[in-house]
Amino acid sequence: MKTLIAAALLLAAPTAAVAQDPGKITFEFETARAEGAVMVALFDSAEAYGGGAPVATKQAPVGAHGAVVTFENLPAGDYAMRSFHDVNGDGEMNVNPFGMPTEPYAFSNNAVGNMGPAGWDRAAFRVEGAVTQAIELK
Amino acid sequence: MTSRRSFLTGCAALSAAVATPELVRAAVLDRVAHDWSLATRDVEADVSRHAMTRLHGRAPAGLEGTLFRNGPAKFRRPGGSVTHWFDGDGLMRAFRVSDGAATMEARFADTPKRRWESELDAMVTPGFGTVGDARAKVGSNDDANAANTAVMAVGDKVWALWEGGSPMAMDGATLATEGFVTLRDDLKGMPFQAHPRVDPDGTIWNVGTNGDMAVIWALRPDGGLIDGRMLKLPRASYMHDFTATDRHLVFVLQPWVFARNTMPFSARLDWRPEMGTLVAVVDKGDLSTTRTYELPPFSHFHLGDAWEEADGTIRFDVPAGEDVQFGVDGARVLVEGKGRVPGAPSLLSMVTLRPDGRAGFERTDVTAEFVSADPRRRGLRRSLTVHVTGERGDRPLATGLAVRDWNSGRSDVFDFGDGHVMEEALFVPKPGRTAERDAWLVVPSINLAAARTELHVLDAARVSDGPVVSWRGDVALPAGFHGTWKG
Repeated sequence: MKTLIAAALLLAAPTAAVAQDPGKITFEFETARAEGAVMVALFDSAEAYGGGAPVATKQAPVGAHGAVVTFENLPAGDYAMRSFHDVNGDGEMNVNPFGMPTEPYAFSNNAVGNMGPAGWDRAAFRVEGAVTQAIELK
Repeated sequence: MTSRRSFLTGCAALSAAVATPELVRAAVLDRVAHDWSLATRDVEADVSRHAMTRLHGRAPAGLEGTLFRNGPAKFRRPGGSVTHWFDGDGLMRAFRVSDGAATMEARFADTPKRRWESELDAMVTPGFGTVGDARAKVGSNDDANAANTAVMAVGDKVWALWEGGSPMAMDGATLATEGFVTLRDDLKGMPFQAHPRVDPDGTIWNVGTNGDMAVIWALRPDGGLIDGRMLKLPRASYMHDFTATDRHLVFVLQPWVFARNTMPFSARLDWRPEMGTLVAVVDKGDLSTTRTYELPPFSHFHLGDAWEEADGTIRFDVPAGEDVQFGVDGARVLVEGKGRVPGAPSLLSMVTLRPDGRAGFERTDVTAEFVSADPRRRGLRRSLTVHVTGERGDRPLATGLAVRDWNSGRSDVFDFGDGHVMEEALFVPKPGRTAERDAWLVVPSINLAAARTELHVLDAARVSDGPVVSWRGDVALPAGFHGTWKG
């Protein structure tokens, strides 16, 4: 009986630790060019993702191995991310005369939309503890 | 015991099934695949280079080079299929003629669309006439790029061209896909349509459109960008092709106009014949002034090279249709491979734009598609047009080819018969010769009985004599759209 209780505690321990740890998401961006910056916005609801305010934004310079961006202290929940590679460093996602982006952009899950940006249904992912996503910005 | 009521119900069901001769004919037509359905067959894998078998004749001395051709070649997958001829995956073909022999090979453009649809084993991407479904991944126009319409040779590359996106570069020797071409960073993804026009000095002109806005591309012969300028057209109309003289760009704006934003693409358009056809003429050196001309309504996909006469009169030829039935529904039935393809065949016609603003439009009685002309006379005065012909109301696709002499008003025709689907024929100048008729016509066909693709060479001066040489490959490739000859 004593052994059983010990085993149960051991099993329970990691779960308890996860529940108490704040969430953390790391995006490892792979880029085609080693210049400029990666601009990242994180959203915690479909409404915010669809045009509201992000919960956090970050930018990171792009080096030879791309860029890494981390968001910490996130309550457990569903999140989605929009990003673009500001290749020329003007702070904007540049578009061509017909309005299509000319700088690389990506969404969490490497989601691709259907005749438009990827929706929440494709880009949303669960954060509980530490999560890492490799994102292709090409 | 059968009740009166159920007996009556049974009768009603039976009478609905009573077959009139018309219904029987329609049912048979609906269910039996036509022999021409090879024109939209699926190719499952790349076709490696192989020697074509010479059927008859001899390759003319001096005919050395490669006919690159592009066209859709994969339409159906278990999880979903395209429903329109314009939406299949682009297959680049190369017919190489050297030392009197010919080889044939074909390789698919390795597009994001094809990669994703191969993974799903379903064709899900919306297109010109295909609705697509929720599994589609289209984050930008090039995600839907089928790279399936035409081909342009630049240096040792060939560019697979589509209508709504970037050129796809492929290696001319291996046909291996290299990737989308961005001509300038700020113009990434701007459409580069399938029908570039070439100046006498080799400058390449092209257009890409979005409603009534167009990007006008000018490229050096090596494919490098000279300029990409924006132009507002006087009408938001479906434009697959434009034409040019040595001095002017000519945009023929048919009354097939953008009416709504939806997919498939063809559902955005309304056919409004009461609007007539509008022609816009723009100076290549100064895009700011546009002369417009009004013509009776006609539909078209393709135009011939234009030329300009001493008094400024501009002329060009066009296979002109009466309506857009083929583009909307006919091209759908072609992929089904059964049933009747609606839409009357296009008739070869001539447009005249006079400096005083008058415009003329004359239809011949010759059915025509895929017009092309002497590459030595691009943008310059000429008298000959080669085109496929022989399409009839009861049978889609061409069975022959013809050279029209606009001076004499005569056509020199060779009909291969219903056993062949003829593809676009190109003029290949005879080396060291300058007269317009000093050319060969190089043209593939699908031999329907043999179920093989063939390549034919005719003398442009004696079309009705038939091919001077014909070769046959090991497979039947579906009908391609457009090609280019690289000598």
